[in-house]
Amino acid sequence: MPDALVEFQHLSHAFRPGRHIVIKALRDVSFSIQKGEIFGLVGESGCGKSTLARCLMNIYQPSSGRILYKGVDLCDGKARRQHRRMLQRERQLIFQDSASSLNPRMRVERIVTEPLVIQRIAPPRGSLRAEAEHQLRSVGLDASCLNKTPVELSGSQRQRVSIARALILEPELIVADEPIASLDVSIQAQIVTLFKHLQLAHGFTFLFIAHDLSMVRYLCDRTGVMRGGRLVELAPTRELFSNPLHPYTQALLSAIPFPDPLRERARPAFSAPPPEPAREGALVEVTPDHFVLQSPSCT
Amino acid sequence: MTDQDRFAVVGILNEEPAPPPRRRPSRAPVLSALLLALIVLGCCFGGLMTAKDPAYMDLANTNLPPGGEFPFGTDTMGRDIFSMIWSGGRVSLFIGFASTLVSTLIAVAFGSLSGMAPGWLDALLMRLTEILLSVPNLLIVVFLQSLLGTPSPAGIALVIGVTSWTSMAKVIRTEVRQLRNSDYVVAARCMGGGFFHILRLHLAPNFVSSIMFMVVMNIRGAIVAESTLSFMGIGLPLDTISWGSMLSLSEKALMTQSWWVLLIPGLFLVATLLCMTNLGNALRKRVNQRHSNL
Ligand SMILES: Nc1ncnc2c1ncn2[C@@H]1O[C@H](COP(=O)(O)OP(=O)(O)OP(=O)(O)O)[C@@H](O)[C@H]1O
Ligand SMILES: [Mg+2]
Repeated sequence: MPDALVEFQHLSHAFRPGRHIVIKALRDVSFSIQKGEIFGLVGESGCGKSTLARCLMNIYQPSSGRILYKGVDLCDGKARRQHRRMLQRERQLIFQDSASSLNPRMRVERIVTEPLVIQRIAPPRGSLRAEAEHQLRSVGLDASCLNKTPVELSGSQRQRVSIARALILEPELIVADEPIASLDVSIQAQIVTLFKHLQLAHGFTFLFIAHDLSMVRYLCDRTGVMRGGRLVELAPTRELFSNPLHPYTQALLSAIPFPDPLRERARPAFSAPPPEPAREGALVEVTPDHFVLQSPSCT
Repeated sequence: MTDQDRFAVVGILNEEPAPPPRRRPSRAPVLSALLLALIVLGCCFGGLMTAKDPAYMDLANTNLPPGGEFPFGTDTMGRDIFSMIWSGGRVSLFIGFASTLVSTLIAVAFGSLSGMAPGWLDALLMRLTEILLSVPNLLIVVFLQSLLGTPSPAGIALVIGVTSWTSMAKVIRTEVRQLRNSDYVVAARCMGGGFFHILRLHLAPNFVSSIMFMVVMNIRGAIVAESTLSFMGIGLPLDTISWGSMLSLSEKALMTQSWWVLLIPGLFLVATLLCMTNLGNALRKRVNQRHSNL
């Protein structure tokens, strides 16, 4: 691995909502994200994508395993406190639900500039307002939004405000948890183009979590497929789409809709393969950089 | 190519001027607010209306009924009740506001700390407030009084404030528990926002409306508490004039059938309390309405 920005090592996380209930949201996930790449993470609802993102942002403390960010172990409280400011500035999260990630009582200007205020960074463009306006422009909003509250914005405008807030510190790693799921198609394309543009211009690294496979195909350099808390396949995006090996990935890819109703109608309905057996499997490198989860018995 | 032409601004409608909406007749308690303002102003500037010293005992004019030189009459010691009302009101209102300030500060600090704290600390802090809540208030007050020595208005305010924050703290803690899981608080924490930043920007604006009612009721409660304590003789000494200590004289006054000594401070006290109750209820209604509008 030449230049890994983030490394997940045997990461597991279990929720314990009740005394005798355990939900294993992540099971032994290991992979790394290279510096400057856009890493796509796809998988069905409830497979643990958000949990992974939240572990990476230190919102959840994983039950076992390690996450290394630039060699700093994020699960180790002491190391984390030592690099607190660096971590707070360099990692930013874009939430899945834009309505609840913005304080309904704050105006857009203050929402967007909140990271600057918290980190006590002098705004590079003179005033906080100018800075907010610049960031809004870069996500396709104009200054008329500055004085509005989130309630007065549409869903896609809210999501763009939260993207602007994540971008204002010019972070190194942006964890985007389904940032475009609530946007209409033209805006989706814009936001995705924006991400690509930002990545080319500034070399940001993205962890891009999505449902929409066509966007992942367009945007991401490498893609991981998750199912039931496990990473089942990991490959460069082009390779994954042209040569899916895991049955679940194959089913997922076959479910991408065609823009042709006749072909669409003739297609068999989506049927996910039976879930993985509970036994532990291991990611096996089938061809260079192409990993597939295989249970020990299959090999 | 700049960002601007790459990303067209879409999805923004222009704002058009609209005629101002017709005003519904407001149900604001105008009368209560006016009366309260009058009483507060009178207490603040009452000294200008009368040249008499409220503490001066004019032994030639004891127990005079209202009228003439003494608009509200004089008490058994010959003090002018008109000037006593204003200077006594100042003390009573001061105790009301100061003790509420104390109790609100404690409640906000304690409630939000407990709300943001991890489970075990939260449980510990809440058990503590419950213990405080279950000890009779009067007991704590008497105990603190004895620690502080001779009672003064500031001392009484502190004692009442320190004993009346628990229920407000519980409300705040419940609100904070809900708010702290909302994504914007999580986001602020990820960005490195400290406890006070989150409290000021994200928590306080969201719970302030739900404790407004309790704050007003707290002022009211503190004034009542002061009167009760003074009436029972464990509050302010007789030579510190407040509405409460004036009422404590009434027992003696009733024997001489001078009803005004009891009635006039009582009237002012009850009017003030009623106005505050009214205001508090109006506040609560407004908050509830806003919640149901959401
Ligand atoms: N706070 C929580 N307490 C208990 N269980 C949880 C909690 N958060 C998530 N889970 C469970 O963990 C599993 C993974 O949740 P997660 O939110 O990571 O899914 P996801 O992949 O993000 O799904 P989606 O695509 O719908 O956002 C789910 O089965 C969910 O029920
Ligand atoms: Mg999710």
